[in-house]
Amino acid sequence: MKKTLCILLVLMIFAPLVFAQVGVKKKRPLPSEYGRVVIKNYSAKADIAPVVFNHWLHRAKFTCRLCHVDIGFGMKAGTTEIKEADNIAGYYCGTCHNGRTTINGKKVFESCSKTVDTADKARCLRCHSLGQNIKPEYDFKTFTQDLPRERYGNGIDWEKAEHDKLISPIDFVEGVSIKRKPLTAQKDFEVAPTVEGMPDIIFSHQKHTVWNGCELCHPEIFPKVKRSQIKFTMNENFEGKYCGACHLTVAFPMIDCQRCHSKPVQ
Amino acid sequence: MGGLKVLYFILILVVVISSEGLWRGTHAPVGAGVALAQEAWLQEFNDICSKTQETAILSSNELKNLVARCDTLKPLIDKLPETQKKVYLKRLQNCRDFFVFALESKSDK
Repeated sequence: MKKTLCILLVLMIFAPLVFAQVGVKKKRPLPSEYGRVVIKNYSAKADIAPVVFNHWLHRAKFTCRLCHVDIGFGMKAGTTEIKEADNIAGYYCGTCHNGRTTINGKKVFESCSKTVDTADKARCLRCHSLGQNIKPEYDFKTFTQDLPRERYGNGIDWEKAEHDKLISPIDFVEGVSIKRKPLTAQKDFEVAPTVEGMPDIIFSHQKHTVWNGCELCHPEIFPKVKRSQIKFTMNENFEGKYCGACHLTVAFPMIDCQRCHSKPVQ
Repeated sequence: MGGLKVLYFILILVVVISSEGLWRGTHAPVGAGVALAQEAWLQEFNDICSKTQETAILSSNELKNLVARCDTLKPLIDKLPETQKKVYLKRLQNCRDFFVFALESKSDK
């Protein structure tokens, strides 16, 4: 009896220390939930459910650059502080969700409006859906069933999907985007990892700029450009810095090591 | 004569109100002058930020000039209505930061 009590006591003392050392494994999101953003800056104050934004649906139709550069959405969840008035004025979500814009032959529903009656409630709930029992118009499984598979993230190889012309993300919205000269192709380059034996990272500028342009990554995410000055660790990536700004949240996750560390070891 | 005075008074009032920007905003009866001014800042913004994909071929002086143009435009955007100001200030800042970044990269090479 005394022995059991002693063991229990030791366990109670050391268990928190063990967890503090190794951490608790974070649950991986479901493919349909990967890239999900909950927007709740003002919803509680307005007595409405927070907005649930699904990246998978939007990234299939638009480039990252269009929303994060031209429309002006911040790169970190909650930093844009979107207000109902912003949407009504035709900015942020209201840039497309205005009841007039047509995307791929389909009119985009209005996000917010000055007057709301009971008939509008269902429309509000299309976005303000956290904790609500809503049947979404786009079902993840149906929407992605013909897209090429991938192991992690949304379980979709978005790059191949575009290459195979299964998706064609829009990069220009009239009245919002600016006509720019096409980007001159940047060379791919290698990044040597700090861990010995780990294959080099082949960074493709072309793959990144096609969806992101330049100012999405520079200088906010990657402040330095001289290769010898770029020094970051995987730990920093896993904190959401550098590659982790996208490759933890929306783009294929960093647990898919070979997709970046792709140069064969000599 | 009295009618003419009233007309002059109304004309002056309209000019003063327009110049003070009291009618700015989406619901305002925008005067031609105000509309032109609004168009000018947007044109300048579009012209500046259309260069972000050309920085590789721009000289340091051209980049410095773009940064200076961003700084000149900022006070005009500061005067816009709240939402427009928030959106365009961020977009302008992104462009400016990128030009500075490109400039620093050039001097590093």
